[in-house]
Amino acid sequence: MPVQTVQPVQSVQQAGKPLESSNVLNALNVLNESKHLVKIHGVSKSFHKIVKENTTEIKALSDVSLSIRENEFVSIIGPSGCGKTTLLKMIDGLIPYDSGTIVIDGTAVTGPGPDRAVVFQSFALLPWRTVLANVEFSLELRQLSREDRTKTARDYLKRVGLADFESHYPHELSGGMQQRAGLARALAVNPAILLMDEPFGAVDAQTRQLLQEELLELWQRERKTVIFVTHSMDEAVYLSDRVVVMSPRPGKVAEILDVPLPRPRVSEEVRRHAKFVDLTNYIWESLKRAMENHR
Amino acid sequence: MKNRFGSNVLSILSLAILWEVAGRAMDSTLIPPLSQIAAAWLKLLGNGKLLANLTMSLTTLAIGFLLAVFVGVVLGLLMGRFRAVEHFLDLYVNALMSAPTTAFVPILILWFGLGVESRIAVVFLFAVFVIIINTMTGVKQVDGVLVEMARSFGAKEREIFFKIIVPAALPAIMAGLRLGIGRAVKGMVTAEMLLTLTGIGAMIMQYGSAFATDSLFAVILTVLVVALVTMKAVQWLDRRLTGWKAEIAIE
Repeated sequence: MPVQTVQPVQSVQQAGKPLESSNVLNALNVLNESKHLVKIHGVSKSFHKIVKENTTEIKALSDVSLSIRENEFVSIIGPSGCGKTTLLKMIDGLIPYDSGTIVIDGTAVTGPGPDRAVVFQSFALLPWRTVLANVEFSLELRQLSREDRTKTARDYLKRVGLADFESHYPHELSGGMQQRAGLARALAVNPAILLMDEPFGAVDAQTRQLLQEELLELWQRERKTVIFVTHSMDEAVYLSDRVVVMSPRPGKVAEILDVPLPRPRVSEEVRRHAKFVDLTNYIWESLKRAMENHR
Repeated sequence: MKNRFGSNVLSILSLAILWEVAGRAMDSTLIPPLSQIAAAWLKLLGNGKLLANLTMSLTTLAIGFLLAVFVGVVLGLLMGRFRAVEHFLDLYVNALMSAPTTAFVPILILWFGLGVESRIAVVFLFAVFVIIINTMTGVKQVDGVLVEMARSFGAKEREIFFKIIVPAALPAIMAGLRLGIGRAVKGMVTAEMLLTLTGIGAMIMQYGSAFATDSLFAVILTVLVVALVTMKAVQWLDRRLTGWKAEIAIE
């Protein structure tokens, strides 16, 4: 039995000001009554860059608002430097935000919590640990007994298809397999929200497509809320319920698009779907506009 | 690996033969033939002199080196992890790292006297700074993504330190130990020659001034073997602890 670390979600809407700003969101709310698990409102973030004696302020994010429903798969797409990874890290609580609010299930984010787990672009596996011990790592921090750790870790390795590789070291595995281990480590703590930071950016194209399909299958079974940062339009459309397009410097939400493609999505069919093609083209136009406006 | 062992044996054999031939041909006390050195070595071994002195030297080496490892690793970890500690200490560490350690021998004699404590202090000083600097560098080079990963899964500072920083820095720490043991052996012999004539160092001075070159070479070769064996022991430990790193390097 997987370990339950997350409180059952209450159906009562938390008290607070209405956060949805865009019409798209309001329209969707009418259609979909499920509650908003993640509410980001008016979030800004600046970094200070020190070159020699001069400190320059770089605005990474400006007034970002976004609400994400429970069990929703949302992709955040944008050119390099639009602050999408920064936004993800702020949702995880790894970096603080300057202004605005990020509220998850009624509680403001002040740091990492057991309801969230991150899958990293560079896998972030510990090279001195075997695959099994890497997945156990996240469970060790949750003070599980040795027996439960191993049992849970093995269970999740099986789900990502790495059962036969538990005693391998990360460097003995391909990039795709390493990221499966990273995914297993994140899933093992049974988070409500999975935060994925360009998770398939470092693997080859074929592996990438396979991993996307596997991720969708897993998501269909586990029903988690996924926030997925990418700069692949194709990936964003194939995976997501909604795609958030961001514009760069300072990062802003340019547009939020609904992906009305039926699920379950079979890769070959979906990618030929007229709506799929239209949407990818539309996102491309939107990204281009966002970048041109910036210039 | 096998190949390398073969080359080593071949290298030693050819040097030994060359030495023997050259020694016989020159017929001088300055370079005695290897067979004569071997005979002197067996004699020193037989009358127990070599073992007694070696034991004394190695005890000094072991205590001094272990102290250096303990202090060096602890200070290195703290300096690598905490900017304040680094800024407080790095001036001294860098200065002492490049300063000739032998210059401190007179002061050590004043502080610790002419006993074994002074010799341990010399071994310690020879070895400790390179261990500190390697450990500190190792800590600073830990991949920030790993620390971020641990933090995102809820790791506390303590857990980050022991579960991420220390294991990730271990290869660099072990490299420091490898350099440190070499310096410790140098420190050991230096102390025994400069401080009080004891152990291996005393034998070197004694046979040197008596022109007993065969015994002198026998002792010097023993020191070389000690250096090699201690180095191999640290390397063995390194491989045991950081095997994962060696495999990555091979690939």
